[in-house]
Amino acid sequence: MTFEAYRDALLKIALEQGCEAAEVYAQEAEEFSVEVMEQQIDSYSVSRSMGLSVRVCLEGKNGYAYTELFEDPQGLVARAMDNARASETEDVHPMQGVSDYPAVTLPDNPLESLTDAQRIDLAMELEKRTLPMDPRCTRVADNQVAFVKGKTHIANTLGLRASRDHSVALCYVCPVLQEGEQMQDGLAFRTGAQVFDLEGCAKEAIADAARKFGASTIPSGKYPVVLEKHAASSLLAGFFSLFSGESAQKGLSLLAGKEGQVIAAPCLSIVDDPLLEANPRSFDDEGVPSVRTEVVKDGVLKTLLHNLKTAHKAGCASTSNGGRGSAASPVGVAPSNFMIVPGEKSYEELLETMGEGLIIRDVSGLHAGLDPISGDFSLLAGGWLRKDGKLQPVEQITVAGNFFTLLKEVEEVGADLWLGIPQGSVVASPSLRVQGLMVSGS
Amino acid sequence: MITQALAQAVLAAALETGGDFSELYLEDTESNNLSMMGGTVENAAYSRRHGAGVRVLKGTRYAYAYTADTSEQALLATARAAAAAIAGDERYAPKAFAVNDCRKAPVIAPADVNNAQRVNWLREASRAAKEHSPEITQTIAGLADVDQRVLICNSEGVFAYDRRPRVRINVQAVASDGKQAQTGRRSPGRGCGYELFDTVDPAELGLQAARSAVTMLHAVDCPAGVFPVVIDGGFGGVIFHEACGHSLEATSVSRGNSVFCGKLGQQIAASCVTAIDDGIMPGEWGSINVDDEGTPSRRRVLIENGILKSYMVDILGGRRMGMEPTGSSRRQNYTFAPTSRMTNTFIAPGKDDAEEMIRTMGDGLFAASMGGGSVNPLTGEFNFAVDEGYWVKDGKILCPVRGATLIGKGHEVLHNIDRVGPEMWMAPGMCGSMSGSVPTNVGQPRIRVSSIIVGGKGGAL
Repeated sequence: MTFEAYRDALLKIALEQGCEAAEVYAQEAEEFSVEVMEQQIDSYSVSRSMGLSVRVCLEGKNGYAYTELFEDPQGLVARAMDNARASETEDVHPMQGVSDYPAVTLPDNPLESLTDAQRIDLAMELEKRTLPMDPRCTRVADNQVAFVKGKTHIANTLGLRASRDHSVALCYVCPVLQEGEQMQDGLAFRTGAQVFDLEGCAKEAIADAARKFGASTIPSGKYPVVLEKHAASSLLAGFFSLFSGESAQKGLSLLAGKEGQVIAAPCLSIVDDPLLEANPRSFDDEGVPSVRTEVVKDGVLKTLLHNLKTAHKAGCASTSNGGRGSAASPVGVAPSNFMIVPGEKSYEELLETMGEGLIIRDVSGLHAGLDPISGDFSLLAGGWLRKDGKLQPVEQITVAGNFFTLLKEVEEVGADLWLGIPQGSVVASPSLRVQGLMVSGS
Repeated sequence: MITQALAQAVLAAALETGGDFSELYLEDTESNNLSMMGGTVENAAYSRRHGAGVRVLKGTRYAYAYTADTSEQALLATARAAAAAIAGDERYAPKAFAVNDCRKAPVIAPADVNNAQRVNWLREASRAAKEHSPEITQTIAGLADVDQRVLICNSEGVFAYDRRPRVRINVQAVASDGKQAQTGRRSPGRGCGYELFDTVDPAELGLQAARSAVTMLHAVDCPAGVFPVVIDGGFGGVIFHEACGHSLEATSVSRGNSVFCGKLGQQIAASCVTAIDDGIMPGEWGSINVDDEGTPSRRRVLIENGILKSYMVDILGGRRMGMEPTGSSRRQNYTFAPTSRMTNTFIAPGKDDAEEMIRTMGDGLFAASMGGGSVNPLTGEFNFAVDEGYWVKDGKILCPVRGATLIGKGHEVLHNIDRVGPEMWMAPGMCGSMSGSVPTNVGQPRIRVSSIIVGGKGGAL
């Protein structure tokens, strides 16, 4: 069956079977990626895929069923209805009706107009530029060009018919540098219009690896810290659920009920902006028109983020943060472009004000080393110790703290906001200077 | 799933441009997920993943294409899309198939269980957690079943069917005093149908999760520094998984991206350490009958008395390394090309007394329950979190501590294992790598590491 025929059949059958409402959410994608090593295609991958989920509302309850095989619409609706009957939540989950959407312009995707051969050449060129940049660079561990083009469709029995496009252009390289027995890897990528900046990408990747050599651990203790943008972004992403209305209503966020209260230092503001020019979308995964939301303003929590269900329960409007982890997942709350608002000072100025202290470049182990409920974190980290204006590389340490305390101890917010790879959900932060974190080392 | 004749045609189409090996992977996977919050069913979802992937190799290079459309026309087009990236003058023809059908129905197939039964198991777990203490403020429970059916065929004559049923229950209890909150977790799972609940008692899980949460609520922050650490069995085996397992996969070894490259036959761990990856343990979470290249799974001794004996090798990695595949190739689903991965990986039982190793450790950490971790195989740097820890002073358990993380370098920590206890057990996890997220078991007896960096935000105890 074609997608359109299958979609219409599902909606029709659901109503015939006694559902009050039904919605179809579908994602289709076309992907291309090529990996080049030693000037040969090492791996190459192409795909076309489509998956579809039907959500029914039966006696006020939602049930879901997902498939990639567009057959037997009766069977799929029956599965969804069976799941709706199992649901016990009393929370009302409205569906979005026909809506007007803000017009957005997707950034250009320069890979779209290229042939596969030209994309492969780009990956060849990236490796060629990377290897000679440092005599210690013996090879690349990974070197790719990738192109994704997709469409998300939402249709429901309230008449909503909406679809939005997304596309990603990406190149990245991971050079390996060797010094004696020691190896270090680096990573840099370029997206969107910057995808042809191979020289810049290669240079950044080499520098990323080179600056890790000669690292050692440092004595345990409390250090003043500058969290570089990558590390700050990772940490904020790890604790995103604290700002979710869904987590709050389920008793899983200590920010529940704190709207209007000071939760962070006065220099800290956070927005969720789905209309951000660099990565815009006109509606969320429930078809709610995109709105920009001030989450934290000058340290005060203004609102948590909501989808239609949590907004109904909270008695407010959806903040257009309805999200699905994948087409097969139920509707939850997800960020669009969730960002700490950049300040005035450059990264270098943050270091100057800190004086002596620790610069955290990256943190690892986020899926286990932080607890979004308590706010506690204890993470493997790498970076530099700054002493007399000089930087000494540091490895094999952990940084530990509590996110709620950290929010209040942010002293300065840098100007270097960094978005990462534009995608459905982005959590981003500029570099942050904080009072101190507990370091565990030697 | 498809006829042998069509499979032959697809494999032949994939070789049209000079590839020397082609492979077709067909998948039809059904799964059900049920989630409960505070004793109330929040969401129930069914999903069916259905599609095919075609891989073409030429020497050590590969092309992969996949599609959700498994019609004859689409499969042939997918094969040609992969072949388009390959160029060579030689022409190979697929060999005749030898059928290997490993499909076995589980005792209680997921399709034979209804939602009312699923809800009951979750309800029992949630109730037991909630009733344990007034400090338990929230319970979360989830039940997931997967019934994966695959057909893997290749131009070397492999035509293998496998069926991989899996069921896992997850219970979390949150304890809070209004200012602080801590979570306790239990999540057993097996490679079987709903006969899982013949051996797993949901109420017992709920109780254990709740106890752990309440204990940690009253814990103090773990001291930071370098200490001896005793790591209990079961999920404690994640230390081997991260510190060593990933670095023994051909994915990193074949590229020279592992600290264990070229170390076969050498002492890479203390002599009390023997480690095994065993994909054929009946009904275990990480078990498979054949791997995702159709090679029969097997038991591999990775390290014997500290000596490196074997890597985990897939076909492509084997070509790069000049080694035979070890039945270790896995992928999350048809949207991923396969690569070498772990199955059920554990440190074998040793001879040391489980109590003595705490009694003689002086001051340090007893890690009773571990969370997840990660590793960079190139540098060997790993980290993992301690979910439930106890501070040991003068060889005696003093008090619970929270927020501990263990970090180190794999090739260093393996030499620092100085005790291995006599009883091994395993616990399930989801392991993420290049070919996606696959179910793996980790395991070990209780072990002691003489010295490791413990991350935490507390002072001396």
